[in-house]
Amino acid sequence: MKHNHNHHHEEPVEDAEIRSWKNKLIWSWVFAVPIAFLMLSERLFGFSLIEAPYSIITILILGFPVVFIFGWDTVKGGIRGLFTFYFNMDSLIALGTVIAYLTGIFYFTEIVQDYSGVAAMIMAFFTTGKYVEAKARGRASQEIKKLLELGAKKAVVIRHGKEIEIPIEEIKLNDVMIIKPGEKIPTDGIVIRGGSAVDESMVTGESLPVEKIKGSNVIGATINQDGILYVKATKIGKDTFLAHIIELVEEAQGTKIPIQKLADKITSIFVPVILTLAVLTFLGWFFYSGDLSRTIGVAVAVLVIACPCALGLATPTALMVGSGMGAQRGILIRKGEAIQTMREIKTVVFDKTGTITKGKPEVTDIKSISSIKEKELLNLAASLEKLSEHPIAKAIVNKADLKSYKKVTAFKVLRGRGVEGKIGKDIILIGNQTLMKERKIDLGSFVRSIEGFEEDGKTTMVITQNKKILGAIAVADSVKEDSKEAIKKLNKQGYRTVMITGDNERTAKAIAKEVGIKEVIANVLPEDKSKKVEELQKSGMVAFIGDGINDAPALKQSNVGIAIGTGTDIAIEAGDIVLAKGSLEGVVQSINLSKATFRKIKQNLFWAFAYNVVAIPLAIGGVLHPVVAEIAMALSSITVVSNANLLRRSKI
Amino acid sequence: MKKLKLIIEGMHCASCASNIERSLKKVSGVKEASVSLMLKKGIVEAEDSVSEDELKKAVAKAGYKVTRIE
Repeated sequence: MKHNHNHHHEEPVEDAEIRSWKNKLIWSWVFAVPIAFLMLSERLFGFSLIEAPYSIITILILGFPVVFIFGWDTVKGGIRGLFTFYFNMDSLIALGTVIAYLTGIFYFTEIVQDYSGVAAMIMAFFTTGKYVEAKARGRASQEIKKLLELGAKKAVVIRHGKEIEIPIEEIKLNDVMIIKPGEKIPTDGIVIRGGSAVDESMVTGESLPVEKIKGSNVIGATINQDGILYVKATKIGKDTFLAHIIELVEEAQGTKIPIQKLADKITSIFVPVILTLAVLTFLGWFFYSGDLSRTIGVAVAVLVIACPCALGLATPTALMVGSGMGAQRGILIRKGEAIQTMREIKTVVFDKTGTITKGKPEVTDIKSISSIKEKELLNLAASLEKLSEHPIAKAIVNKADLKSYKKVTAFKVLRGRGVEGKIGKDIILIGNQTLMKERKIDLGSFVRSIEGFEEDGKTTMVITQNKKILGAIAVADSVKEDSKEAIKKLNKQGYRTVMITGDNERTAKAIAKEVGIKEVIANVLPEDKSKKVEELQKSGMVAFIGDGINDAPALKQSNVGIAIGTGTDIAIEAGDIVLAKGSLEGVVQSINLSKATFRKIKQNLFWAFAYNVVAIPLAIGGVLHPVVAEIAMALSSITVVSNANLLRRSKI
Repeated sequence: MKKLKLIIEGMHCASCASNIERSLKKVSGVKEASVSLMLKKGIVEAEDSVSEDELKKAVAKAGYKVTRIE
């Protein structure tokens, strides 16, 4: 449990990196600026500040700390890589600077031109570039970092009848926490006393405060707004909602997006290839020109211009910014691959209950035959449904609101159709029309009222006693406020929208019409949903949106599975993308975010490839001065990371 | 099979991450290794027989340091 909170201690690592580059950068320039003056004095002032060879000795002295003290980590790591065959970009910089520096010493044996000043300049620009890049990388992860720091640090709990303040790590399950207005809820729990509105936006993206009363679940790290809450801790440490979200986001960072495969492959062989190219360039130039000084300059330029970083950073930085933006809005991208697949989605399939609708059905109509009272019918139904977990069953039980129920024997759940049981000697059957047909029960004149309910989008359960109809109860599950708006947007973007449900055709069509979905697949048993998705996939890639508990197979079958949750009821394992808040607006946002992020990745990869394809031949051709080459290299990776940060400007 | 999260110090470029991945995958029993430069973390899927020490050594071989394993 404890290490979960170490997230707080990790944050300074990033800062430490930035600080260390900053120190190196400042000190490098303290020495590099005088070197620059010495090197350029003849061109700047028309005379040399110090005449050779004293100028070279001065540069060697000034340059030594730049390369071998402030740049020591780079030089050491790079040279080490040459021996262990774990080359990285340090290997290129180390070779470039050390070779350049050595020319200053060899100058005195009068073989070569002196490049020692260049060595210091390269290292100074390298550290500068790294500093800017590290800062930009830090910016790219700012949303995620916010998430890591979101957790409360302290909690007030009741122990032995006394209120005491303890660090968050010491909370135990079933501890009762007291949360005053304005305070953070320390960990996930259930309200046992008090009531308040809670701001959950930081975790779920839900902008409106959520009312909490006795029995409500609350999420750790959300903020209590106006009342005092007494909350019993139900989840702590690694098991909390926030910890799960953080793990999800981190895991997504580790997943690879198909488009990045080529870039990764190139990155992994990049340095050895450049080393080889540098050697070939050296040999080639020396063979043709015979000018060793020039040859060294060109080879150093080749070493320092090449940059695997732009290629390697192109995808992860954009993914980082994208997933951070998502996390802020309650959209958790679990698999990076979904970002790429999303582009090719043609069909968006929605589950009805709990996805388009609120998933909390309520009894709206009760109709009974003349010999039985409506209330009696309801009580009878409730006695059976009490034993079922189905949302419709719960609606009936809630409506009846009984203190005691009739004794039911031989109870059976008829999956997707209804329930059956015995009260006394009577066989009671409650179910939909499919079930009635199956049992060959004549609905008589009830058919008309049932159809009437269904046309209003209500689900109707028929109640029979010993195969004789007693009546019907209609249940309606109201549509979520923004379902209609979200589906309208998807239709406008050209997606084929489909609703899938276990409900009958008429009820389903009524709901579909209400929200603007044209295609309905009704009467689907839960286990057949994934088959239907498979059929739809024949005409294009399918995104499936469902609750992740009943719909897990369909989510898996689809090309992009978007699992929708509300509050703590979140089925994390099921979807490629998980929506923390229940609103369908999140679906539109996930699609837009995925597309925008993928566009950014493509842009970045294009720039990174283009840079190397253009820059390396230029360096080999001897067109670029080594210092210019180094500046270009630094700019290339900074450009990529900064471009990724620009993703925040896109509207999603 | 187990899944381990390594917190890694010293990475500063993209080839660093791929070097560590390469080194980790060479450890026998490691099925999957993915290292994120952005998070300075690596996720390793490995047989239960693989020890934390072996992983630490693999990272060290590539020139980096594991500060913690979760």
